Amino acid sequence: MFWYQWITLGSLGICLINSSIHLLRLVRLGKPTDFSSPAGKVSASVKYSFTGAMNPLKKESAYLHLPTYVAGIIYHLGTFLSIALFFLIWAGVNLPDILIFPVAPFLLISFACGMGILIKRVVKKGLRDLSAPDDYLSNLLVTFFQLMTGIVLLLGQLIPVYFILSGLLLLYFPFGKLKHAIYFFAARYHLGFFYGWRGIWPQKRIERDGG
Amino acid sequence: MKELNKEQITKGLEVFQNLADSKLVTHLNSCVHCGLCAESCIYYLATKDNRLTPARKVDLVASIYRRYFTFTGKFWPGFVNARQLNKETADEMVDLLFGACTMCGRCTMHCSIGVDIAFLVRVGRTMLSNMGMVPVTLQSTVNAAVETGNNMSIPEEEFIATLKWMEEELIDEVNDPNAKIPMNETGKKILYTLNPREPKFFPLSISAMAKIFFAAGESWTLSTKMYDVTNYAYFSGNLDEARLIAHRLWNEMGNLKAQTLVLAECGHGSRAFRWEAPNYLQEQFPFEVKTSVECIADYIREGKIRLDPEKIKDVVTLHDPCNLVRSGGIIHEQRYILDQFIANFVEMTPNGTDNYCCGGGGGQLAMSEYNDRRMKIAEIKAVQIQKTGAKIVVTPCHNCVDQLSQINVFFKLGLKIKTLAEIVADALILENEPG
Repeated sequence: MFWYQWITLGSLGICLINSSIHLLRLVRLGKPTDFSSPAGKVSASVKYSFTGAMNPLKKESAYLHLPTYVAGIIYHLGTFLSIALFFLIWAGVNLPDILIFPVAPFLLISFACGMGILIKRVVKKGLRDLSAPDDYLSNLLVTFFQLMTGIVLLLGQLIPVYFILSGLLLLYFPFGKLKHAIYFFAARYHLGFFYGWRGIWPQKRIERDGG
Repeated sequence: MKELNKEQITKGLEVFQNLADSKLVTHLNSCVHCGLCAESCIYYLATKDNRLTPARKVDLVASIYRRYFTFTGKFWPGFVNARQLNKETADEMVDLLFGACTMCGRCTMHCSIGVDIAFLVRVGRTMLSNMGMVPVTLQSTVNAAVETGNNMSIPEEEFIATLKWMEEELIDEVNDPNAKIPMNETGKKILYTLNPREPKFFPLSISAMAKIFFAAGESWTLSTKMYDVTNYAYFSGNLDEARLIAHRLWNEMGNLKAQTLVLAECGHGSRAFRWEAPNYLQEQFPFEVKTSVECIADYIREGKIRLDPEKIKDVVTLHDPCNLVRSGGIIHEQRYILDQFIANFVEMTPNGTDNYCCGGGGGQLAMSEYNDRRMKIAEIKAVQIQKTGAKIVVTPCHNCVDQLSQINVFFKLGLKIKTLAEIVADALILENEPG
């Protein structure tokens, strides 16, 4: 193992320990107890929370902001892909060309999406006022992680830079807003619980039978 | 006001320490500052003021949490925008969380992540309540309920006189000298509640519901001691006061030995009692609780009341009260009722769980210092109603009726605003209907 891989390994350890603290706290605090009489099914609603309620046609945050929404989806897909590739690159697995040529350009596109989201944050006053340095750093770390993954796949170069950048990303993950990757699932669960208990989700279509 | 003292800060921060479950920690850590919630908020839509977006409100509460309870916020507050709980922060909280949010929850439904924004606003209000910083106007409404048993401070004798007057109206209307508005009768099936706005400003809505009960042959009663369905402490964020108010209604159910508590047409009152009160009280209700909307829908389904489809000719639209619909799950019942007798019904766009708040929720009607802002955001509802071409707006919420009535005058819409019970009572087919 090279020195830069040791650095990344250390970062991964710190990331896992701190992420586990977040996760264990969520588990320890547990699910809500509701003393009111339920009007619906929580399990169906939680399922809906992760599926139907995420439908872009149901959310103004998606359908009123389609370019940002599409960029965000590509960006997140690029992130998940880069994370999976990180372990393959770590293990020294060489991807066949047939995979590299769709994957690497996709990562360049997702990099561009990340940059687009970053530029939007810088340019739009409303977003800029809402942002802290954490928002910019989180974006930069993930966006360049994707770019470096693409470069390593395509050119097989800048490997030490790739591992150091990955190490920084892992190190920062549990401390800034990137930790939403953990809390997102809990948020969807709680939302599903809230709306399910009260019989609001899964949403039924409003039907009319005439006057 | 001078700087916050140590006790206020300690009490304010308590909300982050006394955690019942993982919900609060989850939502405090979930917002990614994407800002896409802005267009789902009536305050932002009406004013285009970036300061009033839901994300800014969430961040205000979360920034305090970060400052005191996270590693990064403690050591690098500027890096994650972690704010101290001081007078400047608290004043901003009062303005944004009390003065610029109806807690309608529309942003929550549309949040890209699923952050329960309305819940966090309420947590922020609880912080302010713990610090003694609830706007005086809202607090005086809560105080009235705590001290007199109803938020309008209506004396019992005056309330009884109003009920007797309404009973005479009922007798005339149903043409039956035996018709009555029962008071404090024990062992009835239903204990019915009221929004104190009814006896104070809209007494005919009491006789409207009494007419429906009469037509259905219902066994029911009103309490003259504890009838107030509202619980403004839910909006002020004071859990002790919310618990006290909820407990009184629970006790009255026991005193009068009724089987079912029927909540009057009041969005927040329904929510505060049916969904929130068992959690304030940490106990399940030993009786059934339902809204008057469900009650009327049941009467129709069971054939206990009949409605004349020829009675209402005007175009009718429906305003969905946020707390009843988006946070209470009563979405289809009011539509089922209107479908039985309204020939010209037009939905607002959007409607149901996506409907825009009227602007009067979250205690806004009680907080006169924010009147200008409230009427500014009301323009969205005014335009929404105008587009339907309706002449009658029906809403199962007295709070919404009040705000819609003000919208009607302010924007010169020329509408009739009615509760569901009122429009149903207008179309009731009675056996003894006078000639």
